Amino acid sequence: MLLRIRFHGRGGQGGKTASRILGSAAFDEGLNVQDSPVYGAERRGAPVTAFTRISDGEILERGFIFDPDVVIVMDETLLEDPTASPLSGLREGGILFVNSSRKPDELNVNLDGVEVVTLNITDMALELLGKPILSTASAAVAAKLISVVSPDAVTSAVRGELGEGSLSPEAIQMNVALAGRAFSLVPSFKLSTKENYSPGTVVPIGVISGMEGSEDILLVGNSALRKTGDWRIYAPTIDYEKCTNCMICYAYCPESAMVIETDGRPVIDMENCKGCLICYRECPTKAISITREVRAL
Amino acid sequence: MKSLSLMTGNAAAAWGARLARVDYIPAYPITPQTEIIETLSSWIRNGEMDAKLVQLESEHSMLTAAGAASSTGARVFTATSSQGLLYGMEMLYNITGWRTPLVLVNVSRALAAPITLEPDHNDVLAARDSGFLQLHAENCQEIVDMILLSYRLAEDRKVMLPAIVNLDGFYLSFTRERVALPDMKKVAEFLPEYNGSNPFRASRPVAKASSVLSSNLYSYFRYQMHISSLNALSLLGRISGEFESLFGRSYGPVEEFMTDDADYVLVMTNSFSTIGKQAVVRMRSRGVRAGLLRIRMLRPFPADAIASVLAGKRAVAVFDQNIAPGSGGIIYPEIVSSLYHLKNRPEDVFPVIGGLGGKQITMGEMEMIFEMMHKGHWSAEGPHSPLYLMRNDEIESVKKNLQIAGQVVRQ
Repeated sequence: MLLRIRFHGRGGQGGKTASRILGSAAFDEGLNVQDSPVYGAERRGAPVTAFTRISDGEILERGFIFDPDVVIVMDETLLEDPTASPLSGLREGGILFVNSSRKPDELNVNLDGVEVVTLNITDMALELLGKPILSTASAAVAAKLISVVSPDAVTSAVRGELGEGSLSPEAIQMNVALAGRAFSLVPSFKLSTKENYSPGTVVPIGVISGMEGSEDILLVGNSALRKTGDWRIYAPTIDYEKCTNCMICYAYCPESAMVIETDGRPVIDMENCKGCLICYRECPTKAISITREVRAL
Repeated sequence: MKSLSLMTGNAAAAWGARLARVDYIPAYPITPQTEIIETLSSWIRNGEMDAKLVQLESEHSMLTAAGAASSTGARVFTATSSQGLLYGMEMLYNITGWRTPLVLVNVSRALAAPITLEPDHNDVLAARDSGFLQLHAENCQEIVDMILLSYRLAEDRKVMLPAIVNLDGFYLSFTRERVALPDMKKVAEFLPEYNGSNPFRASRPVAKASSVLSSNLYSYFRYQMHISSLNALSLLGRISGEFESLFGRSYGPVEEFMTDDADYVLVMTNSFSTIGKQAVVRMRSRGVRAGLLRIRMLRPFPADAIASVLAGKRAVAVFDQNIAPGSGGIIYPEIVSSLYHLKNRPEDVFPVIGGLGGKQITMGEMEMIFEMMHKGHWSAEGPHSPLYLMRNDEIESVKKNLQIAGQVVRQ
């Protein structure tokens, strides 16, 4: 038995920790485990991928999982993100979990022979933790789907992994509760994955001309089509009755998503606001309020 | 601490230093190595480890401090990666000349430019000829064990050279897997306290690193260094047995994976070897007698061990996860030169270059290498011309990126 679980999340959501909680839980069950994350320059909101391999024998694999048995999509907007491409290589007979309030058939995901499961774990985390941190819920969901890890092992892994940080005992207890709830609400399925790897054709180096000498970028605005606001879960709104045009929000916005109009008013660029809520916290006149968004863009 | 635990390669490296009871750790941060220093620093702060950690202002200073401290008889540990290793390069050659038996962990990360974070071995191989011993790890267990073995090798009077333990960034540094931590008492038995020869002591002046302006002296000491390095090869055979009797794991300079009756052998180093081993198992299930030879010790170079494994094989492919522009792979010529004197040398020794900047390798690509060896079909340019791993889907993604950046792909 070798199970390959791939987590797709965004920086700050807990994808790496999810892969570790699942790994520790399986290790606790006496299984052999390998877990690892892949991320570029560390940045909140950037796509993060993490892997857990679980086996009852040696694991002769390493690094990126091309052909997962289970894919956990912690952020629905990643389904359309070409750099994340969370569905790639998912094996026939495998399971796709998407953190979403929509039903599986509303997701527009067409994968033959793949069971699609959805559950809104963000709202669950907001209710229990007060924060959209999804590591424990995602790990619990994955544990239920692969059927080889017990809820008790998940609980002890949550305590073990989160206990190393600076979380209070109360916060850890809420995470344990969150894991328990996610575990119980996700249905269990029987994995029946088949070998699926596509070898890919090695191309001769002759296709490389030697004329593209360096990684120069010749066009400006080459990420104009990437709307970095799509993973927001709270949207800020400005009440112009209270706003004094003091520009504090403009100065603090880390994404330059606060634009000052010619009349001096701040306007939020909602396509690129990531919902960090720093403006909401810093506004001296409390002119900014927030509302929960299930799907930002 | 349970006897078996899940830990990353970086945690394993920190444990290696802790179990070796090092005295002094000069440090400078660089991804993906920084966690090693952070872990050691938190242990020292919490009183779990008795050592002095100092952050220097660069890797050049860090290595100078490491060599100087080692000269005083302290057991010294330090770690770096990629550009950091290159920035300290001048001092690598100096501290080998000082004959300071410290251990340096290098977490492999491909060199800039273009800048990236994932591994290949151009960084550690740039230090190939510095005089450092080099042990390259495939998994997290080997990282702990190799650090302990390295101190034993380095501190032996017949060797007295520093050692690099290499581990791949991301593939090991940030990957957790099962590690059996050696028992501290047994480690103390295997690796006693370090007593340096001619250390600096108060009221007993010693001149270290003195200049020699005569070429015969210079040659004499350079040959000394070479012979001392070779001494580490036979020493490894002895201490590996000691290590095995204490810890149950044995480490020769090479690992033979299903090579005994193999016709086709792939030569690899470091963590990607795990993927190569799976390809071997799969080829075997299809009736192809495949095997893998992994080089654990790159310096001193175990030419005889390599020759004895590869003698009589039908074909050999050498996987270089590095590139020497204008030449090819760096390890390939070393393998070929260890085989040339054999009467029954393999007819074909094929070069492969892959995994640059941590580029992922599919099982299909690994199996293709064995298929090509099996069929005796190599590149159109001839058997000595490297197979450069790059898949069609990867080329397509490169083209897309270049278009976004405003570059036109000419063909």
